[in-house]
Amino acid sequence: MTLAIRQIAKSFGQHHVLNSLDLELQPGELLCLLGRNGAGKTTLLRILAGLLKPETGSVWLNNQQIDYAESHARSNIGLVMHQPFLYEHLTGIENLRFYARLYQLADDETALEAALAQVGMQRFGGKPVRAYSRGMKQRLTIARALLHSPRILLLDEPYTGLDLQGSQIFNQLMLEQKQQGCIILMTTHDLSHALPISSRFAFLARGRVSDELTNENLSLENLETWLAEKLAKPLSAQKRAAA
Amino acid sequence: MKDWLHSVRTLVWKDLLQEWRSKDMLTAMFAFAILTLFIFNYAIELSPVNRAEIASGIIWVVIVFAGTLGLNRSFIAEQDQGCFDALVMAVPDVSAIYFGKMLTNWLVMLFVSVLILPIYSLLYNQSLFNAGFILVLVLGAWCYSAAGTLIAGMTVQTRMRDLLLPILLFPILMPVNMAVVKAAGGILAGAPLMDVQAWLVFLAAYGIIVTTVSIMVFEYVIRE
Repeated sequence: MTLAIRQIAKSFGQHHVLNSLDLELQPGELLCLLGRNGAGKTTLLRILAGLLKPETGSVWLNNQQIDYAESHARSNIGLVMHQPFLYEHLTGIENLRFYARLYQLADDETALEAALAQVGMQRFGGKPVRAYSRGMKQRLTIARALLHSPRILLLDEPYTGLDLQGSQIFNQLMLEQKQQGCIILMTTHDLSHALPISSRFAFLARGRVSDELTNENLSLENLETWLAEKLAKPLSAQKRAAA
Repeated sequence: MKDWLHSVRTLVWKDLLQEWRSKDMLTAMFAFAILTLFIFNYAIELSPVNRAEIASGIIWVVIVFAGTLGLNRSFIAEQDQGCFDALVMAVPDVSAIYFGKMLTNWLVMLFVSVLILPIYSLLYNQSLFNAGFILVLVLGAWCYSAAGTLIAGMTVQTRMRDLLLPILLFPILMPVNMAVVKAAGGILAGAPLMDVQAWLVFLAAYGIIVTTVSIMVFEYVIRE
């Protein structure tokens, strides 16, 4: 099960955000997408989730083009974005129950409690989400994204608001997802947390993947140096490199 | 179809539960409805001659404007927390979101109507508990919710949603307003149901057409 992104282009008015972007992800791989603010990381995730239509290009899963009009294509995807996608007046468990029903999962309270427990939220499931801290909302968001056992996970800044324990729980969950063959595409600026779980790092500049780095005994220092070089490079040089 | 109906039921359950706890829509709608009823009570002296026609107008004005307040708030939770994206990805068909919201808005409008009818009866000493009149309100509220939910889905993504919703909605609702006031006025004046049948058929046809078209176009409305 390979996820292939082919020749994706997207503009907002005169601003070309993605420019013939190609990328391929293998099962059990976690690709960490890096880049400047506004480089198009979130736009790419929204296109892969089927929430934005690209001007050109297509997304393929297992050599079949994904048709986002098909509900099973959309339900293959788990999504964590900047906003939590949670209803403030419902409790944590009610939010999970609501999404489980929309995904046509069987009503199984034990499964919902297990979903809460896996992010360390079992004691807070009965409290309304409006009483949660940012980190608690993020934990519940992660539980929601994993609820329907998606084959593709799209994660936009998943460490936002998480404390150290939350980040460790999240990393453990991602390692389990990788073992199960899930394809994970993640954007983050938190290199220290992303390093132990990432299979590959890709740097996005001028709407394309300008460089990649495989995580083979990669140290945090080397990763930071690599990224610093990319960020220090003027955009015109990166455009030439990407071309 | 079974999955679609299951999603609609789930969305309505969530919306009603959330509304019951937050009372965002109900408080605004009920407060506005009561205020308007009292103002009309001070301003308009009803005589036995004009009572039927004016009563239908007053009630419908109150319901329509209170309904607009409710519609403006009906998509707020989705917009504020970004839940639209999650809903689009989870439902078997995006039209389920529209239909679920439309049903919720309809039920909330009917609930507000149930609250204001006895208050009107007390203020004006005129009973409105007439099966025909209630049928007109049910049909009118359905037409209003069908068109209003679609327009609210569009305007909620704009910064001027409070202004845009009535500007876009009221012209579309002109035929509904006329049909409701004429049919309800006729019924309250004592006309048999057969005499206002044409208006009832018109309301039912309007509701079916607008609901069907909205189901077909809602995906384009909320995406990009």
